[in-house]
Amino acid sequence: MSDSEKEVKVYHRINRLKLKAGADLDDVPGHLDPSVIKRAQGVVQRHEDLYMDEVERVLIALETSWDAAIKGSEEEAVKESLDGLYHDANHVKDIASTFGYELMQHFGESLREFAEKIDIANKAHHTIVQAHIDVMWVVFHEKIKDHGGPTAEELKKIVVLAIEKYS
Amino acid sequence: MADKQVTRGKALTLQGFKLLIVEDYPFMADLMGSMLREFGVGNIFQAISVAEAKEMLILFNTEMDPRSAIDMVITDWLMPGTSSGTDLISWVREHRKDTVKFLPVILCSAYASEDLVKVARDCGANEALVKPVSANSLAKRLLHVINNPRPFLQAPDFFGPDRRRREEEYDGEEQRKIQPEEIKEFHERL
Repeated sequence: MSDSEKEVKVYHRINRLKLKAGADLDDVPGHLDPSVIKRAQGVVQRHEDLYMDEVERVLIALETSWDAAIKGSEEEAVKESLDGLYHDANHVKDIASTFGYELMQHFGESLREFAEKIDIANKAHHTIVQAHIDVMWVVFHEKIKDHGGPTAEELKKIVVLAIEKYS
Repeated sequence: MADKQVTRGKALTLQGFKLLIVEDYPFMADLMGSMLREFGVGNIFQAISVAEAKEMLILFNTEMDPRSAIDMVITDWLMPGTSSGTDLISWVREHRKDTVKFLPVILCSAYASEDLVKVARDCGANEALVKPVSANSLAKRLLHVINNPRPFLQAPDFFGPDRRRREEEYDGEEQRKIQPEEIKEFHERL
């Protein structure tokens, strides 16, 4: 490696974003008006009204991806469907965590993690994925929020047992 | 009370800002876009894939008037297909045009915060934002990029914002093998 390749260059750039935001370069750090942050948090609360419809849509998409994966005959198509399942599970996790649906978040995350290692030829893996999908629909229909109490513990046990028994 | 106001600095106005949200899940992109609009951000663009984000950055930050350039990117980490948010950041940092390669990027993910921070730092992101995103956490990361930009380092195996954020003395094992005479500093002038 030549000397010039070993060199470290440090670029101190002009903070154009600070200027663009209306501050001077030597001003102390600026802030956002607390009222706009409060209004933005209100946006999250308003979006919560859409949660049930949205999570239902994603669960249907997730089930469709899984159906396509188990019925697929071409390797590439199966891979694509499993990728869809992985990302749908991740979306369930994202939306559920945003609005405090902790049990749904738990199953979304659990399925996303399992989706990384699914062997489509292994029937036991089918059982594990289906167990996830079934309990997610129960959580949806029962509108379980937060941790969900004893029902939630029962549902978690179903999935844990399926994973232990079949993986 | 007046003293406190002065210490906090000015209330920033983001009307002139152009932000690009790269998120494959439109619901979450809309939610984040709505929050940013409440913050006063003037122009918010959305891309649902890394490929689309690259097209937009090429258009706005290399082909159009520099005044039209996107100012900041907020990208999700995990996205379907072969390219992820970290791939986008690598592409940005390797770009030949300064209007792209120095672009501030916030990497966003639901993964555990320690993992995310490490990945974000090593791929050249300016900040990491852990999901679920709240108005407070989004504002905090946005303000950090605006108020506390780190210098960019060009090292043999890295280009991006300096990975050492804190200025206090570092007492761990020295990982930098560079001698002071091998460091060249460049100060941009207005």
